[in-house]
Amino acid sequence: MFFHIVLERNMQLHPRHFGRDLREKLVSKLMKDVEGTCSGRHGFIVAITGIESVGKGLIREGTGFVTFPVKYQCVVFRPFKGEILEAVVTMVNKMGFFAEAGPVQIFVSNHLIPDDMEFQSGDIPNYTTSDGSVKIQKDNEVRLKIIGTRVDATEIFCIGTIKDDFLGVISDPSATT
Amino acid sequence: MSAEEEENAAELKIGDEFLKAKCLMNCEVALILEHKYEQLQQTSDDPMNQMSQVFEKSLHYVKRFSRYKNPDSVRQVREILSRHQLAEFELCVLGNLCPETVEEAIAMVPSIKNRGRALDDEAIEKMLNDLSLVKQFE
Repeated sequence: MFFHIVLERNMQLHPRHFGRDLREKLVSKLMKDVEGTCSGRHGFIVAITGIESVGKGLIREGTGFVTFPVKYQCVVFRPFKGEILEAVVTMVNKMGFFAEAGPVQIFVSNHLIPDDMEFQSGDIPNYTTSDGSVKIQKDNEVRLKIIGTRVDATEIFCIGTIKDDFLGVISDPSATT
Repeated sequence: MSAEEEENAAELKIGDEFLKAKCLMNCEVALILEHKYEQLQQTSDDPMNQMSQVFEKSLHYVKRFSRYKNPDSVRQVREILSRHQLAEFELCVLGNLCPETVEEAIAMVPSIKNRGRALDDEAIEKMLNDLSLVKQFE
């Protein structure tokens, strides 16, 4: 799920930037520093949308650098256990399939794919029901439930399931065109 | 890690910080990110290079999964859903997934049923109908 939240960060700025455009320098450095990063607590920081406040700077002894506490609003993407969302299938193999929902990767193991779906290898590996009516392959859209998350220093990785009511393939791009 | 262990979106256990935070539906995120992308295009010659991978992936994702494209209907959807005392998180799950039936809605947002609210099946059905009307007249 995407959220709009306020976060705070202490920004260190080199004295050469002190001047009329100090604030702009601070903001552009902030964007460069935090956009695209990920933490376990807040998830992926997608984009900064505004600056709430810039606090009083504090000179660091010995270096001349100044630390400013900056409060900023941003859009974050944070997956939750138990959350249901839609994702795009990126890779299918006999272990299961990978899907992507925005910045996050989700793995669905073959144990968590309905039992009536069989793995078919070939040019386009896929999972298909015995009557061939439903097929999961690359670029399909699936609706899945997140059942576990693993947090890395720079990434969040999810485990999902499609073995539940109202989960599974949403549409087949080749069928709709 | 105990907080991590207890996390369960189906019961609306997503931590205080996120429960109080403003949730965004995919279509709202699409509006925000597209606006930001346009700004980037104006200020730099090579906007693709300026964007982080996270930004790029998110933009593609929300564009692909936005149920409502025009800003007015996005506003209407939020208006309709916010009439029903839903938590922000529940509101956005419904707005993103657009369930068609009451059973589907409850399967998507189990917490809708067990928070002691006066939200019976009829009210949910009415809400889903209103949503599909917005979609039809878009």
